[in-house]
Amino acid sequence: MTNTGMFFRMLFSAVFRRRSRAVMAVVASLVGAATLFCLAMICIAVPQQMNEEMRAYGANLIVTPTASGADGKAGIDSAMVEHTTEMVATKGSEKHATYRYENVRVNAAPYVMAGIDTTEVRNLNHHWVVDGKWPSAGKVLIGRDVADAMGLEVGGRITIGYRASDNTSTSASTNSGSSSSSSSDEGTGSANAGTEGATSGQQTQDGRVSSDIMDTSGTEFRVSGIVDTGGSEDSIIYATNDDVTKLTGATRGVDVIEYSAGTEDLNALVKSINAMTSMHVKAQPVTKITSSDTRIITMLQTLFWIVSLVVLVLTLVGVGTTISSIVSQRRNEIGLRKALGASSAAIGIEFYVESAMYGLIGGLLGTAIGYGLAQWLCVAVFSRSISFNWWLAAGSVVLAALVAVIASIPPVHRATRIDPAVVLREE
Amino acid sequence: MDMLLELDHISKIYGDLHAVDDLSLTVPQGEWLAIVGSSGSGKTTLMNMIGCMDTPSKGSVKLEGRKLEDLNAGQLADVRKNLIGLVFQKFYLVPHLTAVENVMVAQYYHSVVDEKQALEALEKVGLKDRAHHLPGQLSGGEQQRVCVARALINEPKLILADEPTGNLDEKNEKIVLDLFRQLHEQGTTIIVVTHDALVASCAEREIMLNHGVLVGEKWNDEKAREAYEAAGGKPASTGAQVEGAQSGETAIGFADPTKAAKTGGEE
Repeated sequence: MTNTGMFFRMLFSAVFRRRSRAVMAVVASLVGAATLFCLAMICIAVPQQMNEEMRAYGANLIVTPTASGADGKAGIDSAMVEHTTEMVATKGSEKHATYRYENVRVNAAPYVMAGIDTTEVRNLNHHWVVDGKWPSAGKVLIGRDVADAMGLEVGGRITIGYRASDNTSTSASTNSGSSSSSSSDEGTGSANAGTEGATSGQQTQDGRVSSDIMDTSGTEFRVSGIVDTGGSEDSIIYATNDDVTKLTGATRGVDVIEYSAGTEDLNALVKSINAMTSMHVKAQPVTKITSSDTRIITMLQTLFWIVSLVVLVLTLVGVGTTISSIVSQRRNEIGLRKALGASSAAIGIEFYVESAMYGLIGGLLGTAIGYGLAQWLCVAVFSRSISFNWWLAAGSVVLAALVAVIASIPPVHRATRIDPAVVLREE
Repeated sequence: MDMLLELDHISKIYGDLHAVDDLSLTVPQGEWLAIVGSSGSGKTTLMNMIGCMDTPSKGSVKLEGRKLEDLNAGQLADVRKNLIGLVFQKFYLVPHLTAVENVMVAQYYHSVVDEKQALEALEKVGLKDRAHHLPGQLSGGEQQRVCVARALINEPKLILADEPTGNLDEKNEKIVLDLFRQLHEQGTTIIVVTHDALVASCAEREIMLNHGVLVGEKWNDEKAREAYEAAGGKPASTGAQVEGAQSGETAIGFADPTKAAKTGGEE
């Protein structure tokens, strides 16, 4: 047997033949590693989850046609929608919805009608409270204010008239412009864009324009549902794109694209879109959602890191106390080894490696338990599972071993200064 | 005759207490010396100083001609592992290592581990069949024999034994003393600290301490004494000016301590 072999024989004997002591040290490391790994996993998972949750509250980026476009009334055609979406998608995950706004008349009073893709809008705006169903062919979704003003309920009928004169080029371009400016403040650009554009320069009440023109002709739709957001969406009538095309008798591009972009640097994305002047679109971040999103995530992360730091210190104290107790129980053995000619460094190395081993075993078990805990917490709180992070796990095991070694430095340092004479002092 | 150990007016002082008081002593290579005295007489303190585990407050210790006070901690550790084999009253075996591993620990710190040699050492003390037992599975006598095997594994020039039979019954005491006898016959220098008359009487020479002061010296082997004196060896002495101290160049004889000191008068 070589001396290295003897070193490991002594090490394994100390760990496995003194199981009760070893278990104490391993448990101390295990508790620390499990808590830290669980916190770290949540620290990573929660912001991701929060980001997704926050993005469910609507768009964080709005794209509108520029006033200098070839034809403001033409809107953004489907090819440009696709191109813009590709640009957003290259920077991260994305969800989007398009809106085509038209000024219509209901019982001679002007309203804003939005042509939408139901699935897109529904996926983007999880926070919309819809009483009834989303619009489909021949059925419209009306805002709460519209429903209240006209005494409409789900299943009721509504006659919507379209006049080309209500949708002049000037009106359309104003529509787009105001959508951009208001969107950045309110975060509900599409609705504002429609309402403000349609009511430019006129008195409004409950989202409709006072008018004395009594013309009630138009197409009849059934009310599939009533949407209640507490925002400007409440004064809009939503129909499918096909129904709007049929009603207006014209096909054109959309007025607004709303994005829920998963990019970490939204402003860079906005700049890159705006830099492409040939696209004739203007991008703007919805600052309210973005900043609150970031603030909450930062606060949560800070909180978790502070808790992690406290746990790390407590682990250090716990492991330190345990190893200190183990070392003090072995004072006679240390004295004996010195009496046999061991140097302080040799004894120190033996104890540090032994401590590292406790930390390693505790770290491995603790990381596994910590993952189980983090998984359980995420399923219980967020209803989603988290994937195992191998880098974090390796870091956790190494940290556990490191903490055990650092914690053992003071007691081992004290122990290696033991005068070997203490072993022989008892008469 | 070469002097393996030379103590020159050494004292160990703790505050006002002189644990060892101005002792001069020479021990030649191959001698078996017993240091006797009651508890608290300074025997173990003296042994610690000889074994490089403590340093004298005054005076000088020479081992194989090297002054120990000139050596640093690392060099003292080297002297311990190369020259000295230690046997303790309480055995001090590492509890989580088997008998053979305990012997191998001494090899590990000395030079190279050799399990076969360690087993041979255990065979020499009659414990080959118990080599893979933990100390907790061995009797007191067996543990002490492991301790002796560990002390002799590196073939030290000096065996220092502190009350080696203090925790043993008569049968095991005899086994251990026989082992010492064999080592002595092989030329190993043995210094035994004891207050057991039987153990002390096995030594060639005895010195007695009382409260740190040398109070007597006697030879149990006349031939050894003659050889010692012929080689220029002088009786041990103390510079302490207290009544009964052996301060001159003439040895003061003393009666062997009886086992009553240990057993409380049962014998």
